[in-house]
Amino acid sequence: MLGTGFAFALLPVLREAYGEDDAGLREAVGRHSDLFNSHPYLAPMALGAVAALERDRAASPLIERFKAAVRGPLGALGDRLVWAAWLPATLLLALVLYSAGVATWAAAGAFLLVYNVGHLGLRIWGFRLGLKVRNLLGEPLKNAGLVRLGDLAAAAATFLLGVLVPLLLLSGIVSGTRMLWGFGVLGALSMGLGAYHGAVTRKAAVVLLCFATFAILGYGLGR
Amino acid sequence: MGADLAIVVLLGGIVALDGTSFGQFMISRPFIAGTLTGAAVGSPMEGAAVGAVLEMFQLCVLPVGGARFPEAGPAAVVATLAAGAAPGAGGLALACVLGLVWAEVCGASVIYLRLLNGRMVPDPAAGAVTPQKVMRAQFAALVLDFLRGALLVGVGAVVGILVTPRFALAWPLNEQWTLGLLAAGAAAPLGALLRTLGGLGRWRVAFTYGLVVGCIAVIVR
Repeated sequence: MLGTGFAFALLPVLREAYGEDDAGLREAVGRHSDLFNSHPYLAPMALGAVAALERDRAASPLIERFKAAVRGPLGALGDRLVWAAWLPATLLLALVLYSAGVATWAAAGAFLLVYNVGHLGLRIWGFRLGLKVRNLLGEPLKNAGLVRLGDLAAAAATFLLGVLVPLLLLSGIVSGTRMLWGFGVLGALSMGLGAYHGAVTRKAAVVLLCFATFAILGYGLGR
Repeated sequence: MGADLAIVVLLGGIVALDGTSFGQFMISRPFIAGTLTGAAVGSPMEGAAVGAVLEMFQLCVLPVGGARFPEAGPAAVVATLAAGAAPGAGGLALACVLGLVWAEVCGASVIYLRLLNGRMVPDPAAGAVTPQKVMRAQFAALVLDFLRGALLVGVGAVVGILVTPRFALAWPLNEQWTLGLLAAGAAAPLGALLRTLGGLGRWRVAFTYGLVVGCIAVIVR
């Protein structure tokens, strides 16, 4: 719904910009109902820029070209910064805290607080930047260091993943040397396969876990 | 139980909305949704445990573009209720499996929702697009997403409450073995996440430091 959502978000500005010009308003609303697929946290940047352009009654071909040019890069940047770095880093923080014995509400609360400070900060900053520079987003965006931020978040996430692995496979879950080594080795092999083959191993892990669970249950029922 | 189900169904709708349509404050993440559900229905330990397992499976899933992916938030709500209905190792294992399967069902429903949304969106080529049409389409889509989440959680919760207690008692493994099995399964998606982050080729120092800190934490605990 990002197309219609874009138009929905712009309605207050469009109503003010077009005033009594109903035909112009409908045309503008229709224009902004077209596809606009971008990252939800960086889309406000484009929204701010378009709001400023519409408020100043910029030519509609300029606005359409700007939207078409900016949606892809904002989407790619957001995917890399948020979905592939910030989100896993903050979730891993929560899982590490939980695995280390911190109270669940504290682990969950830490995630929600830290994640949403970044999330809302990005939305607000992006919107304000768009309002300020309008369609001249290129240089400010390049100088904002978002790619570097994404790299830092990815490094933090990798560190936290390293912390989680021993907490998950070695502590409190198993007792007794044989079980420790057994699950540790199985887990390490599993993780190695995942690191090598990527997200496709997730589906395989789900299928295998379901199969193992039903087989174990079957054994239990048959006893 | 009726009141619990009503709360859970409402939570399911909210979690579904948060996933994509409104806010994205990440209460739709399995760990958060499981924790919230557990707190709401009096099964906080089960909710956190189930949520953590499902979260580890979901970490490597990137919600990019129009990709189809499992929707683990409502599934975590269902799994928490199922685990609460049958506390113990068997309940945990079966609830996690139910959650993983239900996440695929919820993910498939998103595709149908998108198709339905496409029909509701006013088409500029077909006629004038008024602000009223845009607002109607927007609110209708939000309501549909909420109802989708609520319905899926309602149905899943009934399945979980009926099925899990019947079979949990037959589960032959103790808690430690069960957690070991789940951890070994969750390790594969964690490895996939490592690849997504850039892999050991890029971040081996950070990962190694993390391993050292994690081992120290295990020893100190």
